[in-house]
Amino acid sequence: MTTHGPGTVLTARDLRKRFGDTIAVDGLSLEIRRGERVGIVGPNGAGKTTTLLMLLGAIEPDEGTIELVGEPLPGGRSRAMERVGFAAGYLPLPDRLTVRETLELFAALYGLEDPRRAVEEVLAELGITHLAPKATESLSSGQGTLVGFAKAVIHHPTLVVLDEPTASLDPDVAMRVRDRLEVMNAEHDTTLLLTSHDMREVERLTTRVVFLRDGRIIADGHPTAVVAEAGYPDLETMFLAEAARRRGEEV
Amino acid sequence: MSPTSRRRVAAMARRNLLVQSRNPGHWFLLLVLPLVDALLFGSIGVAFGEGDGPVELLVTGIILFHLIWQLTLAGSLGLLEEVWSRNLMNLIATPLTEREFMGALGVVGLLRTAVSISVIAVVGVGFYTVSPSSAGWVLVPSAAILLLFGWAITTFVVALTLQYGDSAEVFSWGTLVLLMPLSGVFYPVESLPAVLQPIAAVIPLTKVFSAVQEGLATGTVAWAQLAYAAAGTAVALGLAVWFLDRQMRRFRALGWVTRFT
Repeated sequence: MTTHGPGTVLTARDLRKRFGDTIAVDGLSLEIRRGERVGIVGPNGAGKTTTLLMLLGAIEPDEGTIELVGEPLPGGRSRAMERVGFAAGYLPLPDRLTVRETLELFAALYGLEDPRRAVEEVLAELGITHLAPKATESLSSGQGTLVGFAKAVIHHPTLVVLDEPTASLDPDVAMRVRDRLEVMNAEHDTTLLLTSHDMREVERLTTRVVFLRDGRIIADGHPTAVVAEAGYPDLETMFLAEAARRRGEEV
Repeated sequence: MSPTSRRRVAAMARRNLLVQSRNPGHWFLLLVLPLVDALLFGSIGVAFGEGDGPVELLVTGIILFHLIWQLTLAGSLGLLEEVWSRNLMNLIATPLTEREFMGALGVVGLLRTAVSISVIAVVGVGFYTVSPSSAGWVLVPSAAILLLFGWAITTFVVALTLQYGDSAEVFSWGTLVLLMPLSGVFYPVESLPAVLQPIAAVIPLTKVFSAVQEGLATGTVAWAQLAYAAAGTAVALGLAVWFLDRQMRRFRALGWVTRFT
């Protein structure tokens, strides 16, 4: 039974996760509404990736509950993932397949009835139809990221989750990915949830920033409001100050 | 199984078949290894035996052993391919369920098994005039039990791979290398050193191969031995499924997925 409100895409309540002596996530609660563009930021070790992996059902929280597109996790994970797309800049594509075969595989895994048609459509939308017959191992880093992005949005998901989506991309490809995300959000009300170390990208792409420190939310709001309230000129300065604070603690 | 679920199983099976067909190592394991085994054991039978009996025993034994071997290889290498290409997280972030993933490995395993035993059967018929069905009807229940036992090993190796990654590769080979001499594929277990015989006696495979050897010798079906083997296999399968379920829970609880990203 769904417990989150109408228009809510994701509800996480009081999530806690510990790995040995390390507390990765400590009482995190989050509600994301349809069409929001949310960035989870924080220095290394703040708990971003653990949070994302818990929200995707890949890691089980020690405590707390998650409801993803109306499905409680972990029981409803498979049904939920039919409406969620995921891409990470650091994840390679499966090897020994062509781009077309890779996208057909994921289209079928998402349950699409006509994977071939879906592949042609997403390739055309992203302007990468020419890559279809290429082996995934032969793609450049930027081409691979674009195909990985195509894989994540081929089924027109309600929620797109992106972990470092434009890491190590050249500016042109990064811009194409950002443009596509903005179009999806504007035209289809697609909800975006991303992590990134590129604070300019976060400021441009998101309408809401969730700033993490030691697995806890220390700020949550529009990027402009978050930095103003914290007394910084921009998000990057805030991020650097937080990273320096963490380094000082570690020393 | 829903149509969507069937599509996912078919898509993963296709993925496995495409990957394996483009890897020369898989062709070697699928075609060359059974060919070599058939020639090796067939020729040993001709050289050291009298009449058709020894050749029939050795060729039938190697056909049956490849039933388990290829199924286990398809299962363990199917997951290892995803580990090697760091594709596990991509798959986890889709609706694919563990059962669908395992189902696809099973489909590919059965196809590999069919190809592999066909190669041995062709060599047996063509070079040694041995019919692959010499043992008679005992082969039908025996093959079914062997496939189920092979699936238990596959499940066990998959569960280990979730924890140890590609370090678990050795188990996909090692388990069967251990079982081959102990289960008396080509000889009665009484031929084993006395200290090993009690171990061999509790392995379900031993009873299957013993029943097949009896079928070859007398043309009868040793139902009591097959029933023992079926019960042992059911226990092994139950333990393997329990272990995989436990490992999957630990995989999620301990965040093992981060080892594969």
